[in-house]
Amino acid sequence: MGMNQTDANLDWIERALKADAGEHAAAYIADDGFTSGVMARLPAPAVLPAWRGPVLAVLWLIAAVAVVVALPDLFYDVFRGLVAIVVAQPLTWSRIAAAVLLLGAATWSATVYAMRAE
Amino acid sequence: MLPAAVSDAQLIARVLVKDDRHAFGELVRRHQSAVRAALRKLTSGNHALADDLAQETFLLAYRNLKSFRQEAKFSTWLYRIAYNAFLADARKRKELPLVEDEDAEDSGIPDDAATPVARTAALSVDLERAMARLSDAERAAIVQCYHNDLSHEEAAFVLGCPVGTVKTHILRAKQKLKAQLGAWAPES
Repeated sequence: MGMNQTDANLDWIERALKADAGEHAAAYIADDGFTSGVMARLPAPAVLPAWRGPVLAVLWLIAAVAVVVALPDLFYDVFRGLVAIVVAQPLTWSRIAAAVLLLGAATWSATVYAMRAE
Repeated sequence: MLPAAVSDAQLIARVLVKDDRHAFGELVRRHQSAVRAALRKLTSGNHALADDLAQETFLLAYRNLKSFRQEAKFSTWLYRIAYNAFLADARKRKELPLVEDEDAEDSGIPDDAATPVARTAALSVDLERAMARLSDAERAAIVQCYHNDLSHEEAAFVLGCPVGTVKTHILRAKQKLKAQLGAWAPES
């Protein structure tokens, strides 16, 4: 307690309380299974259902197909434009490898994100 | 077990961000002794009840950790939860005053308390009995300010009352303790 009084000025009940508090502070109560008792009573961690990942992947696939079916002209234009860009590029093995790696990494990242546990 | 160098704030962040149970376990291990000791004082030495309330305190702390704003020390926040758990339990039980100990009604210095060590032990026992006769609020103020070594401001936060009320409770408690333990007063 933040008091400025010296012990000499403290009355006897103050001294008794401080002495008792000193004993209290020094007496460490052993855990003896207390912590494990608390941990056992904590609510179960929220675990997402196992079917969430595959269902999400299927939903994304359905959404992609729906976009293609609903907007075929747009899809065709975009696809044609992409092919034109790719075809216009000089074809080298290193470029093909880089494209494959890039597509693989993107697919892997998207799959991991969709299937993540949290 | 996590190293002691990891601060309470870091452990709390781990619990909040990753629901890290090991981190929460470490927080319980660090503070269980102080919380249980404070509750033992508040319940006038009822260890079983104090430990039940201490468990409840840590469970409530876990559930409400998001509301801990780091405005106070984590231990002070725990004391507040512990005190509220104690009050809720006391209201639920409509706690009656402890059974009066006839022998302790007029607390006198026992004959066998001749040595300083024996005197200190006997005074400690009498003080415990006298503390049990204080009101819950007075006892709580003494426990927070003396046993938990909190400032008046921190005690006011824990007890949910103004600082002036804490000071009043302490003053009244000391007057009552003096009256009950009159036999221990040094002869002037």
